[in-house]
Amino acid sequence: MALLEVRGLVKRFLGVTAVDGVDLTVGAGELVSLIGPNGSGKTTLFNCVTGYLGADAGRVLFRGEDVTRRPPHRIARLGLGRTFQHVSVFDRLSALENLLVFLQQHQEESVLARLVRTRRVRRLEAAAVERARALLDLVGLGPKSDAPAGSLSYGQRKLLAFAAALMPDPELILLDEPAAAVNPTMINQMKDHILALHRQGKTIVLVEHNMDVVMDISERVVVLDHGQKIAEGPPAAIRRDAGVIEAYFGR
Amino acid sequence: MRRAARLALVGVAVAAPWLVARVAPGQQRYVVHVLIFTVLFAALALSYDLVVGHVGALSLAHPAFFGVGAYTAALLATRAGWPFLADVLAAVVLAGAVALVAGVPLFRLTEHAFAVGTLAFALVAWIVATNWVDVTRGPLCVTGIPKPVTTLPAWYWLALGALGVVLLLYRGMTTFRLGRALHAVRDNAPLAAAAGIDPLRYRMLAFVAGGALAGGVGGIYAHYLSVFCPEEMTIALTVNLLVIVFLGGVGTLRGVLVGAVLFTALPEVLRLAPTWRLVIYGALLLVIVIRSPQGLDGLFRRAASASGR
Repeated sequence: MALLEVRGLVKRFLGVTAVDGVDLTVGAGELVSLIGPNGSGKTTLFNCVTGYLGADAGRVLFRGEDVTRRPPHRIARLGLGRTFQHVSVFDRLSALENLLVFLQQHQEESVLARLVRTRRVRRLEAAAVERARALLDLVGLGPKSDAPAGSLSYGQRKLLAFAAALMPDPELILLDEPAAAVNPTMINQMKDHILALHRQGKTIVLVEHNMDVVMDISERVVVLDHGQKIAEGPPAAIRRDAGVIEAYFGR
Repeated sequence: MRRAARLALVGVAVAAPWLVARVAPGQQRYVVHVLIFTVLFAALALSYDLVVGHVGALSLAHPAFFGVGAYTAALLATRAGWPFLADVLAAVVLAGAVALVAGVPLFRLTEHAFAVGTLAFALVAWIVATNWVDVTRGPLCVTGIPKPVTTLPAWYWLALGALGVVLLLYRGMTTFRLGRALHAVRDNAPLAAAAGIDPLRYRMLAFVAGGALAGGVGGIYAHYLSVFCPEEMTIALTVNLLVIVFLGGVGTLRGVLVGAVLFTALPEVLRLAPTWRLVIYGALLLVIVIRSPQGLDGLFRRAASASGR
């Protein structure tokens, strides 16, 4: 059974059809890239899958469960993590707290239990702190753990957002342009992190404009243009696909 | 060290009526009266800061919940003969319930629209209090609200106890995991949702808790003055709360407390110069806003880091 299944998804904005009947199936453990020119509907598709936008038609199934009409926080708790195209962190929380936020909601303790800080809650918190520190070390932000996230550099915030998405150990991670607007060293670092996740058996869907990254690490590439899927296949085949070349460069 | 300082502060707060008797024996009644107001305003400002400072929802509806609590306690005490603690508890519950019912449609609005919506709600509550004469006696006010304690120092300690309860709840809600979830919603609601947090749930939590506590303070306030009039719940109250919270330091316990002390006591101190009173007050507000947009707490923090601590 596919981990993520998108069937005939349609999303319109004021008469413009941003996503036009897209089908997408992602199996467990796959690393799939979603590419296409600007405005081809990649981010809109992500937003529909994660509940940020309501689809006008079509269905989204995660682990066979229909999540089409669910709000974002419910979908997130099912184990579907995501990052945002524009760096997105909690500016006034420290780097460590940014990560902690991402785990605690999955542990579903009651408001009252958190208010009086039951022993169970304190134990969960201690475990979360340990995991958060390990992840910060992994992305090289260990020394910055107490700094407010808003004070970090652009690239560091991008790494922080990435590490935060990993906190709840999601089964499927949607990464929206993780390598955009960061320096080449950091692109390589990001690439290594994504490959490491893939080796751990995580399922990853990547939206990315950097073709070197896409062609280098993807197992399968899906190409969107004007909201429609125009090609799908292994990187080598996509590179030679006439329709794709036309969509990107025109005739 | 900080713990010792905090204990000393609590000690001074508890001993205040005695200290006042020593320092200004002739003025004791007046000064303790101002202190009671200060303590009640501090509690009210903390309840307001839960909403404004910690989930970042600029609500202007707080006088409505304060008023609902005050009328609940006043009417239960005068018409049904309820004892003090029971009617204040009822004030907490009813104000919280009103906040819950009002919050559902209000939180469909965002940002400025939310502020305007809550402002409208506060105005409607005030108009209802003024015109629903059968229940509230309108501009004639609810009078003869019984006082559970009679001496001023006893009132002070009662108010201080209420502040203690609000303070503990405020601390519990704004730190650790609960506080982190509130702050996540404040800083970036869509990202909070990606973390599995339901932004609406936490906004409602702060709004209802803040409203309920404001209702409790309103109930105690009505008992203290033994009169409650609709004018107590006008927009003027919102303005006072905004001054206390934003000039003290929004979202910080210390800032809000300092703000409450300063902006309740200061206008009284300035009575010594009656002609210039409002001018000095206004000028001070301007200076603080310009010199330290993060409020007085921001000023303290900068001073502390400048002195190398």
